[in-house]
Amino acid sequence: MKNDKKRQKPDRNTNRTVLRRTLFLMAMCGVVSFVPLIYKLYDLQIRQHDELQARALDQQTWDQAVTADRGTIYDSKGTPLAMSAEAYYIQLSPNEILQRQKEYDDKVAKAGEESDPEKRAKKMPSYDKPTSESIAQHLAAILDLDEADILKRLAKTESKYEIIKTQVERETADQVREYASGNGLSSGIYVQPSSKRYYPNNSLAAQVIGWVQYEDNSASHGAYGMEAIYDDELGGKVGRVVTAKTGKGTQMLYRYEDYEDAVDGNDLHLTIDATIQYYCERILAEGIEKFDVQNGGFAIAMDPKTGAILAWANSPTYDLNTPRTITDPILKAKLEQIQNSNATDEEKSQQSTELLYDQWSNKAINEPYEPGSTFKSMVLAAALEEGVVNENSSFYCSGVAKVADWSIRCSKRTGHGAQTLAQAVANSCNPAFIAIGQKLGAEKFYDYLEDFGFLSQTGIDMMGEPAAPNYNIIWPRDRFTSANGLTNLATASFGQRFKVTPIQLLTAASSVVNGGHLMKPYVMDSITDADGNVIESTEPTEIRQVISEQTSERCRSILEGVVKPPGTGKAAYVAGYRIGGKTGSSETDAKDHTIVSFLGFAPANDPQVIVLLAYDNPKPVAPGANVTAGGWYISGGNMAAPQAGKLLTDILDYMGVAKQYTDEEKAVMDMPVPSLVGMSLTDAAARLKENGLDVRTEGEGDTVTAQIPAAGVSIPGGSKVILYMGAEKPTDKVAVPNVVGLSRTQAQEAMTSAGLYLKSTGLTIGSDVKAESQGIASGTEVERGTVVEVHFIQSTSSGGAGTGL
Amino acid sequence: MARKAKRDRTVEEQLAHGPVDMPFLMLVLMLTVIGVVMVFSASYATALYDAKTAHNDPTYYFVKQAGFAVGGVLALYIVTKIDYQSFRWMSVGVLAASYVLLLLVFTPLGFGKATVGAQRWLKLGPINFQPSEIAKIGVILYFSARLCKRNTEKPKKLDPRSNLSGPIAFLRRIGFTELIPYGMILGSIAVLMLMEPHLSGTLLILLGGAAVLFAAGIRLQWFGVGLGGVAVLLLLMMAGYQSDRIKIWLDPWADPRGDGFQTIQSLLSIGSGGLLGVGLGKSRQKFDFLPEPENDYIFAIVCEELGLVGACVILFLFALLILRGFWIAIHARDRFGALLVVGIMTQMAGQVFLNIGVVTNLLPPTGISLPFFSYGGTALLIQLAEMGMVLSVSRQIPAAKSG
Repeated sequence: MKNDKKRQKPDRNTNRTVLRRTLFLMAMCGVVSFVPLIYKLYDLQIRQHDELQARALDQQTWDQAVTADRGTIYDSKGTPLAMSAEAYYIQLSPNEILQRQKEYDDKVAKAGEESDPEKRAKKMPSYDKPTSESIAQHLAAILDLDEADILKRLAKTESKYEIIKTQVERETADQVREYASGNGLSSGIYVQPSSKRYYPNNSLAAQVIGWVQYEDNSASHGAYGMEAIYDDELGGKVGRVVTAKTGKGTQMLYRYEDYEDAVDGNDLHLTIDATIQYYCERILAEGIEKFDVQNGGFAIAMDPKTGAILAWANSPTYDLNTPRTITDPILKAKLEQIQNSNATDEEKSQQSTELLYDQWSNKAINEPYEPGSTFKSMVLAAALEEGVVNENSSFYCSGVAKVADWSIRCSKRTGHGAQTLAQAVANSCNPAFIAIGQKLGAEKFYDYLEDFGFLSQTGIDMMGEPAAPNYNIIWPRDRFTSANGLTNLATASFGQRFKVTPIQLLTAASSVVNGGHLMKPYVMDSITDADGNVIESTEPTEIRQVISEQTSERCRSILEGVVKPPGTGKAAYVAGYRIGGKTGSSETDAKDHTIVSFLGFAPANDPQVIVLLAYDNPKPVAPGANVTAGGWYISGGNMAAPQAGKLLTDILDYMGVAKQYTDEEKAVMDMPVPSLVGMSLTDAAARLKENGLDVRTEGEGDTVTAQIPAAGVSIPGGSKVILYMGAEKPTDKVAVPNVVGLSRTQAQEAMTSAGLYLKSTGLTIGSDVKAESQGIASGTEVERGTVVEVHFIQSTSSGGAGTGL
Repeated sequence: MARKAKRDRTVEEQLAHGPVDMPFLMLVLMLTVIGVVMVFSASYATALYDAKTAHNDPTYYFVKQAGFAVGGVLALYIVTKIDYQSFRWMSVGVLAASYVLLLLVFTPLGFGKATVGAQRWLKLGPINFQPSEIAKIGVILYFSARLCKRNTEKPKKLDPRSNLSGPIAFLRRIGFTELIPYGMILGSIAVLMLMEPHLSGTLLILLGGAAVLFAAGIRLQWFGVGLGGVAVLLLLMMAGYQSDRIKIWLDPWADPRGDGFQTIQSLLSIGSGGLLGVGLGKSRQKFDFLPEPENDYIFAIVCEELGLVGACVILFLFALLILRGFWIAIHARDRFGALLVVGIMTQMAGQVFLNIGVVTNLLPPTGISLPFFSYGGTALLIQLAEMGMVLSVSRQIPAAKSG
């Protein structure tokens, strides 16, 4: 027993120890050890859930942008000016291509294990190994890219997103796709859809429409013009497709896809009319060639009542489809000059870039200029409104005006003598306007500068309108109204020594003729969504009433006088259309650099359109000369006015504005010759008289047997129709005489004696004209009674550089 | 041998025919089933994209694992039928076999060096397995069988005239001498394992052995010495290829494409699961993001698919299993049973803790599988057989005294 006790005691103790320790282990293993685990899981799955999930999703998904279709830009008649079409971009996934290459090696290795050569051949891939070199070579050939560059991109084997080319056409894209699928690279070379911008009218309204800049990731944004201003509306919202992918970059088994639809851009409707725009650009280009113009020019057409821009042309211009190519002949010559110079490459590229900026530049808003005599319209309006002058006021011009210590010469060195207000305007007489300005007084004058909006932006929705007022180009009030400001007031009265933007001038001029309403000009007419619902539209906004309706009416009639002989703007005269306007020749800081311009509106009684046409820097034939190589006298009246006349005719014809003829005009209007054969002489004569035509007979018969000209031909009113009363109608042909340089009467006589009819175009009224050209060249044999068109221009020159006309 | 009628059984035999512990069995079966299902889900993508071994059959791993699970349950049943007292003598054989197998790994029969950089596997006929799995149970069996007799064995009488009797008596007094065989066994196995190298396996074997020693009543200070030894060992290893692991552990994002990749992918999987998970079978991380999702990192997929709730339910089942195992140990008929179960359960708890600790980056990364879940047929089979041993012990629990 004793022994037993001895043995039992430690055992019981040990039992207790074993139990205690087992319980300890039990607690440790079954409970305690789980605490940190569960805490850690809670930390990861709840507290860090969002962050870790986002990271996981980031690697598990393939997030691709879906480009939204950019909206179309339409003109006011619904003609598309800018539109989007399908295009593609090529994206490489070097990471996946590497895997495809590895797979190829695996396949070859597997095939190599096959002993049966037939089976081996079957297991071999059907194409050569798509090495990086061969991929680069093929893609470079298809896409016209640099092979080394593609190789470099392929070497980025961590990357899955390398865009090598954007704006790829469908045909090329198909070739890439074909190459990819033929070489087991469908997962590796991706052809992704995007869109490309097309400008169907190429250079039409280039500076207004602007263009689109494409970025590497196929995103795009408007870089210039409307494309930039309305980028948000046009661009729409880029969509996304999120696709699940595996760690190897392939499509995941689950169709886990999340779409965020792309919202297509809205369409933009402009106030621009493509046809009027075309007329403006044509007249601009024509004049630039004719007058040897060095720095381009601009032509803006606006609806004076609303401020809607109908056309906005600039020169030099460029093709919107290739904005980085220089097409303008003058700029091209400059480019060649740069490239042939011995400047460094860096300088060359910088200079070439500047040329690009030149062609992108929107002159008509970017570049303030001295308005010259066109500004007199506003001075006239202010003076009439303030009652400091009226139609009966008279002005005397001696050819020079003294202001302070300065002598300011008039364009006509000998002086205009005594003039009425209307004559002073028609003569664009500087001393008369200095007097008008002085009558207004500096304070009032400056008030009107402000009221006409020359000290503020017009607020047009166009890029690059300079901040206003800019006191470097227009006087601040204190420097204008101070005692020293007298010369400022004097030069301002005829539009010199300060600068305004063309659109400021046109807006102000509109208010002069439209009843006094200064309108905010605008280009965006409306924005519509894909279904045609109008989202936004521009209502004409009147900024303020500057002058009264009555004053405006008086201004219109005085300005109409400018375009009638002997006014400086008579070259703009068009029979039937009552055109009003004001010429201008602006000096610049540079020698021999004149900007000739014409501000015109029509019809004068109810203006439908107002244009401002300017040519920047017609090249004098020799330094200091006032004519160009083509013999054109450098002045607004001789250059811009006739062009503007043609332009307004085109525009008014197109707009369907009814012609209104004065009696004088009717007298020389073309009349159709009725069919008179078989009629008695008396009947025929009566019939001709109805049409304002005269008669001459040949032969003694009772009835008309033949007539010249034939029925239906139009001849000028008052011309004689030859009626053959039984006598033989001569069928021989006659030669057209040369009438160029002759006066109207002389030309008329030459034509009549040749048995031909004269049809006047150009300056059809007034006597101070000469024939500039004839429709049928002299010496051409034509039938008797043929109507020959002869274009008349004024025979004497008036106004010119340095005189502010 | 012919089956004896019940009435002819000896007391021993009657004891060995008691009922198995149903809660424990149920927990084992539940975890096995869930584990096999999760292997199916986690291995789906790997198998689908693997042309070489799985032949693009998404059920490849599942079918194999399910087969082993059936075999494992069968093994469990058989082991349950064995009177665990016979494990006492078997233990020597198992331990001896462990040594042989661990040595065989270094012969051409072993493999793994080329694929994972560690020679851990043995190919015997058609089956591949890690000898460390055998060693794990071998150590526990042998230690339990020896240590249960600790208090009854009489120490050899020392020759008082010997010069050594003084120091030996001292060593005995402080409990050192009895540790010598265990220390030698653990040390030699650890050396063999670390030569593979297989750090996590070594740790588990040490843990199993230590648990048995601890429960058997070895003086606590020796554990201090043991822990210190392991710590020194670990620190020494930091210098080598293990040191990178520490860096990754501290900041896996430092090298997201390289060494930190697996850890990061695991964290992303777990994190994206959230509270309720993405749904069974719907893990996205298993699609070539998380490497070997059906293996050591299967719990990350569990977390992603089943969320925090699902993960906690599984952890709760593990906890219940462990607690029930210890309950069996406490109620075991004898000390051998108790120590055996304590060893097995502690080792399993350690394995669960290490695996989930690694997967959640609580611990530095090391290759360790999750019991019942990780893909690996023989491991599952052995695991279930060990559970059979626990159940075998449970059959001999004396019925609670009624009344």
